Amino acid sequence: MSTVHVISLLPLLVIAATSVVVLLATAIRRNHAVSFGLTLLGLALSFCSAFFTPPNQVTQLLTMDRYAFFFMTLITAASFAVTLMAFGYFEAREGRKEEFYVLLLVATLGAMVLAASSQFASLFLGLEILSVALYALIAYLGDRPPSLEAGIKYLVLAGSSSAFLAFGIALVYADLGALDFVRIGQLLGIRKGLDLSLLLPGTVLILTGIGFKLALVPFHMWTPDVYEGAPAPVTAFVATVSKGGMFALLLRYFSQSASYRFSPILLVLSIIAIASMLTGNLLALFANNVKRILAYSSIAHMGYLLVALIVSNRLGANAVAFYLVAYFVMTLGAFAVVTMLSGRERDADRLEDYRGLFWRRPWLAFVFTAMLLSLAGIPLTAGFLAKFYIVAAGAESQAWLLILILVITSTLGLFYYLRVVTALYEHPSGNTQVFEPLPRRAPAVSLVLAVLAVLLVWFGTYPAPLLKVIQSAIGSIT
Amino acid sequence: MTNFAHIAFYLAGAVAVLATVLAITRLVAVHALLYLIVSLLAVAVDFYIMGAPLLAALEVIIYAGAIVVLFVFVVMMLNLGTQARETERLWLTGRAWIGPAILSALLLAELIYLILRPPLLGSLSGVTSPKQIAIALYGPYVLGVELASMLLLGALVGACHLGRSSLSETEVQR
Repeated sequence: MSTVHVISLLPLLVIAATSVVVLLATAIRRNHAVSFGLTLLGLALSFCSAFFTPPNQVTQLLTMDRYAFFFMTLITAASFAVTLMAFGYFEAREGRKEEFYVLLLVATLGAMVLAASSQFASLFLGLEILSVALYALIAYLGDRPPSLEAGIKYLVLAGSSSAFLAFGIALVYADLGALDFVRIGQLLGIRKGLDLSLLLPGTVLILTGIGFKLALVPFHMWTPDVYEGAPAPVTAFVATVSKGGMFALLLRYFSQSASYRFSPILLVLSIIAIASMLTGNLLALFANNVKRILAYSSIAHMGYLLVALIVSNRLGANAVAFYLVAYFVMTLGAFAVVTMLSGRERDADRLEDYRGLFWRRPWLAFVFTAMLLSLAGIPLTAGFLAKFYIVAAGAESQAWLLILILVITSTLGLFYYLRVVTALYEHPSGNTQVFEPLPRRAPAVSLVLAVLAVLLVWFGTYPAPLLKVIQSAIGSIT
Repeated sequence: MTNFAHIAFYLAGAVAVLATVLAITRLVAVHALLYLIVSLLAVAVDFYIMGAPLLAALEVIIYAGAIVVLFVFVVMMLNLGTQARETERLWLTGRAWIGPAILSALLLAELIYLILRPPLLGSLSGVTSPKQIAIALYGPYVLGVELASMLLLGALVGACHLGRSSLSETEVQR
């Protein structure tokens, strides 16, 4: 490893150093604002450094290419937004707040390692860094039983899914003797016989581990409970950074190891995608809790993303990246609204908390409506264009069944998003008890919401600049 | 690769599986921990047979030695007082220790046999020396070591926070 390599690692180094600095600052003197400021500074520096660092392969473990830098900027930006949300949320609470930022930075580092890993060893390390920090983040509010319950559920399920992943990696390694994605792709290319007896179970077990993190359907059980129990900013983090980092890795693994050459794997992925789209949207119809609705909707969104992955053409890879950006914007926006309305005792997750919001806080209701409509895929929003790209990519590869299910389930999805939207605009009747949000207004969250709303419309109407960036990023892995 | 290595491998593997199943079905935490130690020792024997003596030693020292013994201490120390001493005595009498003892004896016999008859000890995939592991860890995989340190940092901060908040809660209740 030479100086050039160290410079290429700059975005990761900055985040790691910031977490240590925040920890030391906390050890010297506890101050919520200082921890918050240092975290924001570190994330901003890491974000900017990703634009200037030269692409490089740093040892066997990390591939710092344009693709990795693209997702690193996305991840750090999302963490930045989550940090801004968290400040107001935790400021109004008793107890220790500074550890939150250390854990958030460590989790961000894990997701960034995932985005840069082109090898199973770094995949496993990144995943574990992310998971271990998330256990503590989800259970962060130790005085709330649902939070602890969610943490323990996540701990048990993430632990067992890591075991599946490790076993799958071991099987693939036993068969091919390689951990590197590109090398695996080459070895599969020159292989004559089609003996898949070790490779296929191995790959399916790896998909199990990845599918758990993404909450794809047979492995989605934890999602609603964890979304509901975790503090709202942490839920936003789980929904965006954790899933985004993992999907970035899945896309890289899929295209570099050329797994799409194996029809059994494509079949498995198609079944998972269809099941995710159907289950996510159908379960959301019956949910009455806003956080749970968003949890089910995220399951469906991961199903849509998987469609773009399965069609495995260049357009598909671009569609995945665009969809992830749009998904980050609208999910962060939705959870920023939830954070803003959350009280000291509990988060604003009941549908009643949102009834008549328009008459109390019109701008907030308006932004929430925009985010929900984007999640549903209404034109003029980023969510619509993202879905459009997936359908276009699917049509190019003639994956008609997947597209049909995507369209049908998106229509189903409209119902539950509109259910929340109509609740926002209902006239408040006199006898309903209005949920009192935190007394302290959070200007930081308003800022986040404004920026996200602008991005939502910008990407939905003029996506050309973003698409150009995505194309150059995707170009480095295909 | 001899036939004997296979038999020894699967025997130790069976002990590991059995001990793990017993560990997760025990109702008393201390009994479960005893089986967990046996399970880890059995895995160590498996590592030894596969030609990774360093990993086997580390498994015994770190997992069975340090971590689980720490667990045992914590479980023992959490309930102090005369009443707890009484329950503790109840835990350790009876047949609780027979199961782990038999399984450990099996592993010990296997290990002694393996050590006494080195010519028969075939490994499944050649022997990896500690030096090779060290060179790999601090050469191409040095970033992995660094990342593992970040993993430990996250785990430490998380454990500290969660442990602290549950502690202060019980203090309030008292």
